[in-house]
Amino acid sequence: MADFGIGVPDELARLSLGNGAEQQASRAPDMNSAGIVAVDITDRFSLAVKTLEPGELVKDEFFTLFESVGALEIMDPKMDSGCIKPGDEFEELYDVRQPLLPEEVLGIIDQLICHEMSWHLGYPLSQTLFTSVYVEALSMPNPVGIEQAIFVRDPKDKSNDQPMLQVLRAYCLGLLKACGYVNERVRAEHSYEEEDFVTNTYNRTLLANVPTDAIRAAITEAKGLLQKLRSDSGHSYRAEVIDALEVRLELRDIFLQATECPQYIKEPNLAQIPWQQGISLLPALKSTHHLCKPVDDSFSAKLQRKLASTIPPRPIVQLGFDDAFENLTRLFQDGLEIIGVLQYTDTQCLQACVSALQSKKPQPLVYVRTLLQTFLFDAMEVLGSMSIRQLIDDDLSIITLPASPLLDRANDEIEVVHDPRFIVSQQMEFFRQRAAQPFLDILRTLCQNRCRVRRTLCHTVRAWDNLQVDAEEVDQVVQAQLKESPLSHMFLDATQHADSLPLSLSSWAYFYKLRQMEWIVQLGFELEVYQGDELAGMYWYLNYLAKCRLRHLERIKSFTVRRAEEIRALKTHENVYAGLQTRQLERSLSFVRLSLLDAAATWELSDALSCLYTVLGRLGLVKPPGRPYSNDEFRYELRMKPFASIGLPELPSFEDFTAGTKQPGTSTDDILEYCERSLMGAKRAFETMTRLPPAESFSVGSHERWLGTAKNALKSCIAAGLVVKTIQVALRKREKADLKFKVEIPTPDKAYHDWWLIPKLTPLP
Amino acid sequence: MEKDEGQEYLRSLLNKDIRILITDGRIFRGAFKCTDQHQNVVLAQTFEYRQPSTQQREAAAAAAEVAGRSPATLTMDLTSRYLGLVVVPGHHIIKMELEQFASQVRNAPAATVI
Repeated sequence: MADFGIGVPDELARLSLGNGAEQQASRAPDMNSAGIVAVDITDRFSLAVKTLEPGELVKDEFFTLFESVGALEIMDPKMDSGCIKPGDEFEELYDVRQPLLPEEVLGIIDQLICHEMSWHLGYPLSQTLFTSVYVEALSMPNPVGIEQAIFVRDPKDKSNDQPMLQVLRAYCLGLLKACGYVNERVRAEHSYEEEDFVTNTYNRTLLANVPTDAIRAAITEAKGLLQKLRSDSGHSYRAEVIDALEVRLELRDIFLQATECPQYIKEPNLAQIPWQQGISLLPALKSTHHLCKPVDDSFSAKLQRKLASTIPPRPIVQLGFDDAFENLTRLFQDGLEIIGVLQYTDTQCLQACVSALQSKKPQPLVYVRTLLQTFLFDAMEVLGSMSIRQLIDDDLSIITLPASPLLDRANDEIEVVHDPRFIVSQQMEFFRQRAAQPFLDILRTLCQNRCRVRRTLCHTVRAWDNLQVDAEEVDQVVQAQLKESPLSHMFLDATQHADSLPLSLSSWAYFYKLRQMEWIVQLGFELEVYQGDELAGMYWYLNYLAKCRLRHLERIKSFTVRRAEEIRALKTHENVYAGLQTRQLERSLSFVRLSLLDAAATWELSDALSCLYTVLGRLGLVKPPGRPYSNDEFRYELRMKPFASIGLPELPSFEDFTAGTKQPGTSTDDILEYCERSLMGAKRAFETMTRLPPAESFSVGSHERWLGTAKNALKSCIAAGLVVKTIQVALRKREKADLKFKVEIPTPDKAYHDWWLIPKLTPLP
Repeated sequence: MEKDEGQEYLRSLLNKDIRILITDGRIFRGAFKCTDQHQNVVLAQTFEYRQPSTQQREAAAAAAEVAGRSPATLTMDLTSRYLGLVVVPGHHIIKMELEQFASQVRNAPAATVI
């Protein structure tokens, strides 16, 4: 079995130019080279420059002033990292030889934990771990083997043998190696340096040359030392401190194993073990933190001067232990949870699982997200064992092609070029190649940070629009070959053709496109893109999209139902695949049912909220902020930018949008009544959804999260209902006086559901 | 010095490797790119060289003594790092040197150590 990414980064790190140690230092020319003489030109030069006019320059003609802006100004404390304040030392004078108390080692380790988590949260190594003198001593010069990775680079120096320093060394070794793995993982996958994580190691290798086994052996050795100390009565160390140190070493060892978990991609149970062990060890870490004695001297911002960076030292990041601990806990919990995606059920469950994980608040740490990407896409295989074809075929069979001859693998065996099955197989392969990228992009996009998810969706939705066009061509060729018969069905408007062809592939693409368009709007609510007075309009547009999806799903359903009838009509003995086909059709029907419910719920609730915000706008309770340089039409254009280039569904005109949002012909009472009815509908739909078992709600593996989200949406319906009631009562009582309410639109973190922002009404005295 | 002569001299130094000693004892070595009336100097592909700290000197002297050599004739490497493009402000400049190949210097070589 291939080693998924483990071990390889080590090799690559050694090859990579950007990461090799001392690459620039070795090029520094020697000042005392025999062939070069230095001639003093001080006086002549200063005389020469005096002949220049003020502002006049002598410069190389290829050197532009634009370039000079990027030059470091020497002796400027903000730019020149070598500039030292008078009375200050350039070097950090802390001596790593000095003996440490166990409490102090504990203090240093816990501080390192804080720094490690700060790094995970997005701060650079230079302001976190690399400010530790002990880390520096182990990293520079770059050790080529474990025996060189000692604090005092003199094997004869006795201070290396102090048990406490050995414990600290083992901890730091484990820490650096794990950071090396984390860094390689993040680098290998997709993330945003400016937004998520700084992978710069400033020319440090993070022990790429030291094998993990050697480091784990050093940790075991250090644990052995601690055990010896425990039975030895010749010292005054407290037993609880010794225990606390052992817990930390153990955790280091476990984390190293956890970073190697991708090698067990095919055995999720094995991959989970270190994460589970880590979680069970964490309470012991927290409960012993109070024993620490901090050693602040062992961290220094000055160490940044030794890094391959021209930035002057910046302050050390200070993250509190409690925060760090919380993030560490989250890291382990999320790490354990993502291994759940390896339990593949079907593509829809996978998507639900990934999207549920990523919509967690706060979002999983970057390392966990990149680990998820590795599981999903490593080595051109999904989840370590599935081909992209399997994945796409599985998805097609759920949504539009259940029990379809188009997905029959036997088609590939046909070699007669005129055989329809040959042509179908060829066309399908063409389509898969075309669809693979956009399809995988959905999963990949979901692994990014939330802002990027929305931004990237705006691009992928266009790719899906194009895919739909291509799919339609394939559909027509395939249809002609298979002589698919049109279906006259009741869901089409009279204006449309009474007969309709399944167009399965393009209808698959259209379904995904609609869903992504809805996500873009919904993420807009989650990310607080829209202002209070825009909510009515955006919920109106969401409602429009949900309506399109609902109609489309009804169309898909009619074909699935017909296919089911066809299969049933075949006698069982004529059809050897009956069992499999029936199962596929049942799965498809439950998926359509779930999607219909979801689309209906979205339709009703967005309709209700649009009405509610319209009323609040009419009553002057939600007022537009002053926008001297904007008008409604410009803003509409801006908000609809991601959708403007999409052919289908057509973008509503600004007039339709205004009419839908303002509802000029309808009285406020009527709107509220309508709003109430929609909320009832939405409530019913969400209630039905919450009763679905995992298999029918396509949330196997993430059912609890999925259920939680559905229940939160239900709560939003109820809360909205109360608001509507309050307004109705107040309107009835009103006698010409204005309504006295303060309306507060909650931020997504305070709302029941990120996507459903229910206003809060507080009566004013 | 005449204006033309001064400019010509400065221009002749362009892109030559120059060493600049500044007030805090550091030496910068890089290709001369630009200067102005205040003797602010722009160097490209610059390396910074720093004299050993007192602590390092003492440590090296102690080591030499242990090894049985005289600390008086001790030689130590300057610590160096790459900086790239820098501006050295004129008022911090103590000494400037031009690097030349020994084989191309007609006159007797000047002192090599700043």
